[in-house]
Formats: sequence, structure tokens, C-alpha cells
Amino acid sequence: MLLSDLKLFAPELVVAGLLLGVLILALKPRSWSFYASTCLAGLALALVALAALAALPAQSYFSSMVVHDPFALFCRAFFLAATMLAILLTLRSRELCGPGAGEFYLLLLAVLLGMMLLAGSNHLLMVYLSLELVSVPSYLLAGFLKRERASSEASLKYVIYGALSTGVMLYGLSLLYGLSGSGSFEALRRHFSGSSFDPGLVGLALVMALAGFGYKISSAPFHFWAPDVYEGAPTAFTAFLSVGPKAAGFAVLVRFLFSSLTSQPGPTGTLLPLSPWPTLIAILAALTMFVGNIAALVQHNMKRLLAYSSIAHAGYMLMAVCLVSVTGLQAMLFYFIAYAIMNLGVFLVVIVIANATGSEEIATYQGLWVRAPYLVAAMGLFLLSLAGIPPLVGFVGKFYLFKAAIAGQLYWLAVVAVINSAISLYYYVYVLRVMFIDPGGELTPLRPPAVHTAVLAVLVVLTVALGIFYGPLDSITRASAHLLGS
Amino acid sequence: MQSSSFTLVFYAFAALTLAAAGVVVFARNILYSAFSLLAALFGVAALYAMLGADFLAAAQLVIYVGGILVLILFGVLLTQRGTHLHLRVTTRQALPAIAAAALVAAVLLVAMVQRAPWPAPTPRPYTPTTAALGEALLGKYLLPFEVVSIALLAALVGAVYLTRAPEHDR
Amino acid sequence: MIGLAHFLTVSALLFAMGVLAILLKRNAIGVLMGIELILNAAGINFVAFSHFLGGLEGQVITLFIIILAAAEAAVALAIVFSIYHNFQTINVDQVDRLKG
Repeated sequence: MLLSDLKLFAPELVVAGLLLGVLILALKPRSWSFYASTCLAGLALALVALAALAALPAQSYFSSMVVHDPFALFCRAFFLAATMLAILLTLRSRELCGPGAGEFYLLLLAVLLGMMLLAGSNHLLMVYLSLELVSVPSYLLAGFLKRERASSEASLKYVIYGALSTGVMLYGLSLLYGLSGSGSFEALRRHFSGSSFDPGLVGLALVMALAGFGYKISSAPFHFWAPDVYEGAPTAFTAFLSVGPKAAGFAVLVRFLFSSLTSQPGPTGTLLPLSPWPTLIAILAALTMFVGNIAALVQHNMKRLLAYSSIAHAGYMLMAVCLVSVTGLQAMLFYFIAYAIMNLGVFLVVIVIANATGSEEIATYQGLWVRAPYLVAAMGLFLLSLAGIPPLVGFVGKFYLFKAAIAGQLYWLAVVAVINSAISLYYYVYVLRVMFIDPGGELTPLRPPAVHTAVLAVLVVLTVALGIFYGPLDSITRASAHLLGS
Repeated sequence: MQSSSFTLVFYAFAALTLAAAGVVVFARNILYSAFSLLAALFGVAALYAMLGADFLAAAQLVIYVGGILVLILFGVLLTQRGTHLHLRVTTRQALPAIAAAALVAAVLLVAMVQRAPWPAPTPRPYTPTTAALGEALLGKYLLPFEVVSIALLAALVGAVYLTRAPEHDR
Repeated sequence: MIGLAHFLTVSALLFAMGVLAILLKRNAIGVLMGIELILNAAGINFVAFSHFLGGLEGQVITLFIIILAAAEAAVALAIVFSIYHNFQTINVDQVDRLKG
């Protein structure tokens, strides 16, 4: 029993082992690239262990605390890959140098472990624990540049908002526990499928629980921490944060809503929500999109602009969640990948520019086209992809989202999303304009280190290739859009 | 089954907890707030004991009062300017905040207490919980039990890094 | 007769006090104290439900809440020290340089 559980838990065991290995290795001072390569090797091993699980049937393990199903498999693979990419972004960074390398990677691995657990969490206790495992090291990572005021301020705001949100969420979860007598999602679903439950209390509990989930995915009105944290934290961590923990928040939100507050699938596979939560999520999605896109219009700091852009994209993904359909789930999973590629690409360019110029303000991007044409071209590609311009992967991602929304007959939200995409085009193009057209001062060419160029090249190729040849990704996401019990 | 002394003890500790929480909120001196938090946490431990959670009450005292509160006191004392004896905390116009908190309390009380959609309570005798908790932690809750140790390790490593003096950084 | 409702009332009021502390306190540690009140309120809920409605699960969950609150408090205080080192104050109104 325990042995079969451990087999399913093998990837997480590898990550935990790697974490402890880093701790021991850190007894002697070592370079950042040493830890980075060790972690990359270890995470590759974890991916192999995960691939070995692909053939196993969907099941719950560890006394129904966690679940193994195609959705969890996809998410765990995604988190491993995203973390490996983020580790590549930590290399040759001007911010991340000096002592503390071991601690940094240990904290990052702890966050990864939490994310992988979030993907399969099937019990309120596991949700809370995994969420804390993702959040607590994140608070520290945001403040990792301990001599920088911006970084300290970022971590203070992060810990206050985060602890408050998880506290409120915990109170909401306690109400759900009281109603159903157990913390497991199956017990919750059984209770809410019955005829007698108080919708007012369930609604209240859900709103409180959404405080915790909403904060993790940076959806309005729980997004206030994001701009400051994104701006102040070391950029490599910001990049990781915008992709990894955010997607993990979505994964657990989806599983929580679909497994506890949605009925078992009917004969035709249709899912019925057991309380009017889709409407609530739809409203949050619209609100998040507008807040993100409108605030992004007035930003002067690139990382802050990307924070609001990230908030807006969370809104688009929330649109997929409220559809309560397999199509919606597939669209969300596709968007995870598209968004990771585009966003990590943008942040890598920001890192390269910051390494060379020491600034993250958009104004200093003036005339970069002259200094680093390929870099600016790559940035342009990523930004246009974020805006949803064909034939890039961002466009395909948005197309899947809209298609799912139309299939789910949520026309008003699809219209809102289209309007918001149009608004977002304005600020993405603004950054491009500054880089391409505005004249700059310096003319010395900007040459990023080889590793950065290599990663950028890969991301550029993916952005274009997956936009045109999206077939394989389509089949993978469609196969993965299945949760245990739905 | 419940004696009147039980009722008296409950109201005493409930009053202690809430009054102490009130002092935490409204005291202008942060040191007074910290010590009142001690009383509030102690009151919560007593409430746990009255709910039959004997191990939890002890754990609350050891970890919350003995650990977290001591940490908070260190924090309070080490983040004040040296000779600054007046540990004043500025508080803004309190009225809108009090109104908001009162609204929150009202909503919660109506939903939980007044409408009370809970299943009928089953009368339970008080039994020691330590053995049962131990078995649960190594049985059904094995995974969270092991994972939380990683969470603690990460918190420890990170907190040490952040507060380490620069000359000790390698 | 003391019942579930009594304990829930205490937890609801404690929760509201925690919210109030977060809204009113300008000292970062004061805000942290408010968060601890909220966590304790949730803990009372779990244990109360466990006692009155049966099962040990609520107590197990509260045990984990206590453990994770300790980790979170340690981290939060480490961050507060870091803030104090950089800003010479832990007043949340004054630690607000990042704009927009």
C-alpha cells in the first residue's frame, strides 16, 4: 500500500531528495551555476520519474490526500519544466550573485514541491499545506536581495497579503469542513449533492476560500500585492512567480471547484455546478481582465507593467475555469504552456537589458533596436504573442479560450475578453515603439551571454512553431483535461 | 451532563480571549499588544481543552505561546530605536475600520450561529486524544506530516539567510 | 448549556478582531498579530466542529495550522527584521516606496 503510494510519489521524492542534497552541498561555498546545473540534472530525473507514471490509471493515494490523474500529470510536468526554465533565467544575473546561492535554490525547490502537491491535492488540509509550502518560501525569495529596499518592501507586502489571504481562506475552509464533516473533496461533493445544504453559508465559505485562491492567481480583488512584489523581487524569481505558482493556483482552484462543488459527470459527461460559483468566477474574470489591462496602460516600469499584464492574463484563464467544461479545461492547460513560453521570454529579455543597463524602466529601452536588434526582435515577438497576434502561440491560446467560451455560451465574457485583448495591444505596442523607434543615447552593441541567447532562441522558436503547429499540444492538452471523478 | 462551573469557566475564558484580542487591536503601545496576544492565545488553548482537544491545548501553549509569541516579543523589542522608551503605534481614524469589522462579525454570526445549518451535534465523552492523534499522523495523515517538515526546513533556511549578518555570508 | 454556537460566536468575534487589527495597526508586527488572531479563530472552528460533529480530523487540521503558523511567523519576522535593516522603521505606511 505504502509502496504503491511511494511509486506514484516518486517525482516529488526526487525533488525532495534534491532539496536535501542542495542543503548538504551548501555546507561549502559554491557558485550559482554549480547549483543550477545540479538542480537541472535532478529535475530532469524527476521528469523521467514522472513519465514512468503516465501509464498508470487515475487513482487517489496517500489515504485520498492526493490524486493521480491526467490533469495532475500534466501540471506536475509543466511545473518541472517551468522551474527548469526559470533556473536557466537565474544564470549570469547581475542581481543574483554573491552568497546565498544554496539557500535560493533550496527555497525554489520547496516552492516546486508545493506546486506539484497542489496539482494533486484532494483534501482541504493538503490544499492549505501545499499552498503554504508554495507561499512561505516565495515570501523569502521575493525579499532575497536583502540589501535592496525594493526587495525588502516586496517581501513585506507579499507576506502580509499572503498570510492574510490564506488566513481568511482557512476560515472559509473551516466552514466547509463543518458542513460536510470531512475535509476530503469527495465528502464535500457528497454533501453538496444532497438536498439540504445552506446555500448562503456555502456561498460565504466559497468567497472566503476564494480569497486564498484569488491571491495565488493574482485575480482581482486579491491582486494588490502583485505589482509591488513583481517589481521588487529579483527578476528571475518574478518570472518564475508569474508562471509557476500562478498556474499552481489555477490547478488547485480547478480541482477544488470541479471535485467538490460540481456533480459527478452525467451520462453524456456533462458537469453540473452544485452552487452558482461559475457566475461568481465569471464576474471575477471580467474584473481581473479590466483591472490588469487598464492599470498596465499607465506603467513606466517594465516589471510593473508585466505584473498588470500577468493579472490580465489570469483574468483570461479564469474565463476558462467558469465554463465547467472539458473544453474550458483544455483551453486553460494550453494557455499555461503558451503563457509560460511568452512570459519567460519577456522576462529573460528584461533580465538581459537590466544586466547591461542596470535599469528596469521602460524609458531606458529607448533605441535598443540599434544596440541589440535580435534581442529587440525577440522581445517584439513575445509581446505580440502576449497580445494575441497570429500566427504566434499567444494567439492560438486566446483562440482556444474564446472558442471554449463560445461553446459554453458565455458570450458576454468572450466579448469582454476581446475588448481587453484590444486594450492590451496598446501597451505592448508602446514598449515596442520605445525600443524600435525612439532614439536612444548609447550606441555600443549589447551582447548577452551565450546561455541567455540560447534560451531566447529556443523560446522564440517555440513561440512561432507552437503557434503554427499546435496540433501536438492540442492532443496533449485534450488528453490531460480530465480530473479523477469527472 | 454539563455542570454550571463548565459554563462559568467557558464564559471566563471566552471573555479573556476576546478582551485580550481587543487590547491587541486598540493598545497604542505595541508591547502591551504583544502581551495581550499572549493572554488571547492562552484563552484559545483553554477553549481547545474545553472542546476535548487536550493535546492540541498543550501544543498551542508550547508552540504559540512559547514559540511564536516569544519570537514576536523579540521582534517588537529589536525593531524599536534604542533609547525610544515610548513604543507608540500610530492608528488612523478608527471608525471606518471598526464599522467594516463589525459588518464582518455580523455576517459571520448570522451565517454560522443564527442560521446554524450544522448537522445535529452528537454528545461525545471527553477522551485523551494524544494516542489517536499519533496514530492519525502516521496513518491517514502521513503525507501532510512528512511534507510539513520540508515546509519548516525551508522556512528555517530562508529566515536564517535573511537575518544573517553580512560578515557571516560566505 | 454551552454548545457549538457559543464556540462559533467566539471564533467569529476573534476573526473580526483580527481583521480590525490588520486595518488599524500601522506597525508591521501589529499586522502580524492580527493575522495570528485570524488563524486562531479558524483553529477554534475546526476543533469545535470536530468535537460536536464527530471525528478527529478537525483537531489534526488545527495541529497543522499551529505548525504552519509558526513557520509563517518566523518568516514574517525575518522579513520584518530585513525591513528594519533597510528602512529603519517598520511602519507600513512609511515602507511604501514602490508606486503605481
